[in-house]
Amino acid sequence: MLHQNLEWFFPHKVEEAVKLIEQQGVILHGGGTRILKTSPKSIRGLVDIGNLNLNYIHHADNHFSIGSATTYADVIRYSKKTCKLSMLADALSEAASTPLRNRITIGGSLKDFPIWSSLYAPLLALNAQIEIADKHDKVISLEEYLESGVIKTKHLIKRIIVVDDPHLIGGVKRFALIRFEYPLFTVAVALRAKKKVISEARVYITGVKGRHKHCKRAEHFLLEKELTDDIIQQAEKHFAPKFVSDYKYSAEYKEHTAKVFFSDLLHELKGTLK
Amino acid sequence: MKLSFKINNKSKYLELFPNETLLNVLRQNDFTEVKCGCNEGECGSCTVLLDGKPVNSCQVLAMSVQEKEITTVKGIGTLYTPHLLQKSFVEAGADQCGFCSPGMVLASYSLLKENPKPTREEILTALDGNLCRCTGYVKIVDAVEITAQKLLTNNLEME
Repeated sequence: MLHQNLEWFFPHKVEEAVKLIEQQGVILHGGGTRILKTSPKSIRGLVDIGNLNLNYIHHADNHFSIGSATTYADVIRYSKKTCKLSMLADALSEAASTPLRNRITIGGSLKDFPIWSSLYAPLLALNAQIEIADKHDKVISLEEYLESGVIKTKHLIKRIIVVDDPHLIGGVKRFALIRFEYPLFTVAVALRAKKKVISEARVYITGVKGRHKHCKRAEHFLLEKELTDDIIQQAEKHFAPKFVSDYKYSAEYKEHTAKVFFSDLLHELKGTLK
Repeated sequence: MKLSFKINNKSKYLELFPNETLLNVLRQNDFTEVKCGCNEGECGSCTVLLDGKPVNSCQVLAMSVQEKEITTVKGIGTLYTPHLLQKSFVEAGADQCGFCSPGMVLASYSLLKENPKPTREEILTALDGNLCRCTGYVKIVDAVEITAQKLLTNNLEME
């Protein structure tokens, strides 16, 4: 339950918002879905980012910039209209439900990184960068954002930057028993090929022990190879994410399922590699 | 505190606490057509339109939507002047207990406004956040299709 005397701030500048969140117990408010799910009493102030003009998707110089207040639904709508960002839109289309996708923001999902996130795996596979504002503005890779611990600091995410690369193909698969359920894990693969031979591979999984894993062994194995049934079978052996058992599934079951999903993804991508 | 909101094309002053959800604030101020189901954003019975897009009002903090246009089901049609879509719900037998109907109607309304000729698959996606425990959904999807057909046949736009 949120505190009844909660204080609201509606800044018009990013710098003002950054200053406000330096205070103890004051956090950012985008769509608010996560705040309401956790409702910590320790929150005494909310900084609404609605007036910061961070709800946009721009395309310039072969890059997409997605403002942090952009909702999942906005990304999906943009992708339908332009046939771009389809890997990301596919993943987001399966997250939550239509009314929730109209509220969940890209920035909020990145900052919170819930274990069921459908956003991180595709963005990591797309080698996305993130622009953040704290004491200094900076652009870092999403991987660095996670691994250097910046995610745990107080900051405001301004935008996500994704390269518009027509030669990169990719896919995402999430494991959920029913559509509405939080996924257990999400696998994302992005490949680039020259004459059907893979020249770059990026493989990520979220929902694993430690939240995310960059599957470098599988990537390494795929390099300089053509995707054949035999290669896909072998690649599966190099894809070994580690899970934690829970009340529903054992770690072994999750690992086995993840391998099947990884192999299915490669089979789907096989037909589209040029 | 008392704040101004834009609801169903009218400015209204509503009494609220800063930690309250839009659902609570609406219901406590007599907008009881907005139903409270799960309170967790899963059932869709509390759906309202925010600037024309469906949201779960139980997952929205009221303070954050003062500038937005809020539409409840009474904003598109009433008992005496029902909207074409509401008439189609009756025609298709898509109402049983009626608890999910305000949310279903608003989610369908938003879809048809954006896409007047949706496929059955698109209707299912648009209604994926609205649960119904009576109809089995078939008649609800039929109602949306009937409305789309009427719009097409009579060369009407969704209003």
